[in-house]
Amino acid sequence: MTAAARLDSITRRFGHVTALDTVDFELAPGEIHGLLGENGAGKTTLANILGGLLVADAGGVEIGGRAVDLRSARDARALGVAMVHQHFSLVPRFTGFENVALFNGEAWTRRGTATRGYRSQVEARARELKLAVELDAPVAELGVGERQRIEILKALMSDTRVLLLDEPTAVLAPQEVDGLFAVLREVAGAGTAIVLVAHKLDEVLAVADRVTVLRRGRHVLTEAAAGLTARELAKAMVGRGLAAAGARGAGWAAGSEGEPPSARAAADAGGRAGQSEADADPVAVLDDVTVGSGEAPALRDVSLTVHRGEILGIAGVDGNGQRALAAVLAGMVRPDTGTANLSEEAGWIPQDRSDEGLVKDFTIVENVALALHGNASHRRGPWLDWAGIADRSAALVDEMDVLAGSPDARAGTLSGGNQQKVVTGRELLRAGELLVAESPTRGLDVQATRAVRARIVELARTGDRPPGVVLISTDLDEVLELADRIAVMVRGRLIPVPPEDCDATAIGALMLSAGSTGDGGHGGGGNDAGHGGGRAGREHTT
Amino acid sequence: MSRGFSITARLRPELVATITATVAVIATLAVAATLLALGGHSPGDAFAALARGAFGTWDRFVSFTLVRATPLLLTGLAVALAFRARVWNIGAEGQLHAGALAGVAVALLLPGAGAVLALPITLLAAAAAGALWASVPAAMKTEMGVGEVITTLLMNFVALFLAQFLVQGPLRESRGVFNQTDEIPAAAHLPALLPDTRLHLGFLFGVVIAVTLWLFLTRTPGGFRIRAAGASVRAAEVSGRFSVTPVIWLSFLASGAIAGLAGWIQIAGVTHRMYEGLSPGWGYTAIAVALLARLHPLAVVVTAIVFGALSAGGGAMQREAGVPEVWVRGIEALVILAVLTADRIVQGMAASRD
Repeated sequence: MTAAARLDSITRRFGHVTALDTVDFELAPGEIHGLLGENGAGKTTLANILGGLLVADAGGVEIGGRAVDLRSARDARALGVAMVHQHFSLVPRFTGFENVALFNGEAWTRRGTATRGYRSQVEARARELKLAVELDAPVAELGVGERQRIEILKALMSDTRVLLLDEPTAVLAPQEVDGLFAVLREVAGAGTAIVLVAHKLDEVLAVADRVTVLRRGRHVLTEAAAGLTARELAKAMVGRGLAAAGARGAGWAAGSEGEPPSARAAADAGGRAGQSEADADPVAVLDDVTVGSGEAPALRDVSLTVHRGEILGIAGVDGNGQRALAAVLAGMVRPDTGTANLSEEAGWIPQDRSDEGLVKDFTIVENVALALHGNASHRRGPWLDWAGIADRSAALVDEMDVLAGSPDARAGTLSGGNQQKVVTGRELLRAGELLVAESPTRGLDVQATRAVRARIVELARTGDRPPGVVLISTDLDEVLELADRIAVMVRGRLIPVPPEDCDATAIGALMLSAGSTGDGGHGGGGNDAGHGGGRAGREHTT
Repeated sequence: MSRGFSITARLRPELVATITATVAVIATLAVAATLLALGGHSPGDAFAALARGAFGTWDRFVSFTLVRATPLLLTGLAVALAFRARVWNIGAEGQLHAGALAGVAVALLLPGAGAVLALPITLLAAAAAGALWASVPAAMKTEMGVGEVITTLLMNFVALFLAQFLVQGPLRESRGVFNQTDEIPAAAHLPALLPDTRLHLGFLFGVVIAVTLWLFLTRTPGGFRIRAAGASVRAAEVSGRFSVTPVIWLSFLASGAIAGLAGWIQIAGVTHRMYEGLSPGWGYTAIAVALLARLHPLAVVVTAIVFGALSAGGGAMQREAGVPEVWVRGIEALVILAVLTADRIVQGMAASRD
């Protein structure tokens, strides 16, 4: 049988980062194919290449057995590849019918009367796919699930060989997820191949025929879903064999092959002895902190203590409350309930270095001044002491080994690694007692990653009064490598990981657990009340 | 090609900006020359007349070009300051009118104010009124998240109609002939800056404010915060650890105060009365002045004089070369388009290097 689509040895780079590295992918007609991976694994890039939104740097694309050259989403559509994005592309004021007609190039009038023919086609198609859609209400008045069904109908009005869905369940309530899956089975049954980009394991296993796992831009496995367990998938996604993970057990100091030598050296030199004395010296204490309200607060009942000289690792899939936790620890956000006991100014390496960590139009000196300008010792009367700040910046460039022409170079002209070194160096200036590092090595090359990690470790291990470090990272390897203690964030909750469970598989399963972690709510099987042919989405309209 | 790019990259940004602006002005003149020729005029004659009108004699330069540059200088500084903080204050025109009205009202209604105090008091009143006018959109932006482009623009119409109402009604001249106020007392007149010219002290105020703003923006913590907030709100909050709300307030109020001064200084220095149509749209031309100067306060002095020269030369161009003065407005518009285009091109060159 001819494949619905085939990607052959696809490579795609963004600047220095290789998002996809010689990845093969094959899609059979009528199958639901789960595409799994952690953040940054390359799954959306792969979907975008198939959808015509990105062009591969190398490799071939075949659709329906024919080699094609996709230059735009229009090209892909003409070949029967449709995409439903995570953020819908519907005109909010238009009705569902108008949106479907608009997308498919059909004329319509306000009431849809001039195109009765098309109207009945749309209705017939919806019936065929068992899609419960509201065609006559403005999209703005519909719930998320209903909008998604209109997106799907819109995409499937013309002959569709491949339907790409980018994290379609991320926006849905659990009951709606079941409804969506019923629709997908119907669509696949009619011969359309479906790519389901996701990171929730149990969902994918529930609906997919086959599963492909990507990890850091590389293909890890493609297998029938029936033979796989969530645990195996978690392992494939985080990419660490049980044996290797077990060997490190409780210990950060149990060094192994992958560690940057400089980090280990710093630990040996400064580390363990000093740490036991510091154990009783907390630098930040959160007690039952909640931020936000309603169904899904950003943080709920989070308690943690950060000690001087330790690295507390926080693992978790992006968007589970890490951001709010960092902001609370940095003193930028006050808890809505609970107490945060923090010591003066904390260093904060924000996740988004180019938009939050730096002002790209500023020079390195000016970026350093972001931390120092409020400091009385860097003022001369009403004036800023630019000479003093420039000295500090020159020292920082030197210490962090930033490759830049001079401290007067604009931050935007530096590479990602050098930008991150500037941010790290600057936040170290601030971090008297506490440093919060949010995915500090995301997107960096190997060298820069080592340098930044070594500096963080050195900071926590050396000196008489080292600060405590909270390392928030979606990269589980990084957390396992650097942290003394580990906790996992899931849906705003912080779950401490007992030392004996500090292996990738256990943590990975915790990270990816879809709500079976104590908030008791959803995710269980057998929850099929309220959809069927009905309009479950309405109940979730906000 | 790539050689050219790397040369641009090595130059200081200020120099690049100057070159960009100069090229833009020259390109504008070239386009304008073409259009003039197509319109049946002689570009050479037109430009010569324009130049004579603006720079022909010392008196033309001082009494016309610099006098006309003064309100553009002040409003241009007001706009540049706000834009630096990424506060899109399109309301300099309204703030100018608010300042003019307040200055005139205080000058006319408080005749008891001693001669020595008349100028300081009226200047303060004008600045306060301009700031007050700007405080409405500032509050709407910071408290309710209403975009200031619309609110500052709409506040302009409120100010214009308020001015019309006042000069037709409560503040109308005692003769009751024209829609204008009485002449302000001599104590409230701005003295001449140079003897035997029409240039008044207001121009010097403008230059002093320009230097002050430049020092403020580049040398003080407050000015640094304005630049940081203007460059990236998120970086300012996360890495600078300060709230941008006070920064927005400060730039809004200071911008409004400077624009308010522009209105009153024009009256105190030149017209000595308030009347309908006091401003031919200085508050809007100010946006071009500020953009051409790339929001640099010292450069605003130069670009304000360029626009003052266009305005002063326009009349001469009409009289001597028979080219309608409205061409000058067209040239002003072309300058903005040319600057923005040149900006993009230079940025594109810088980006293609990376």
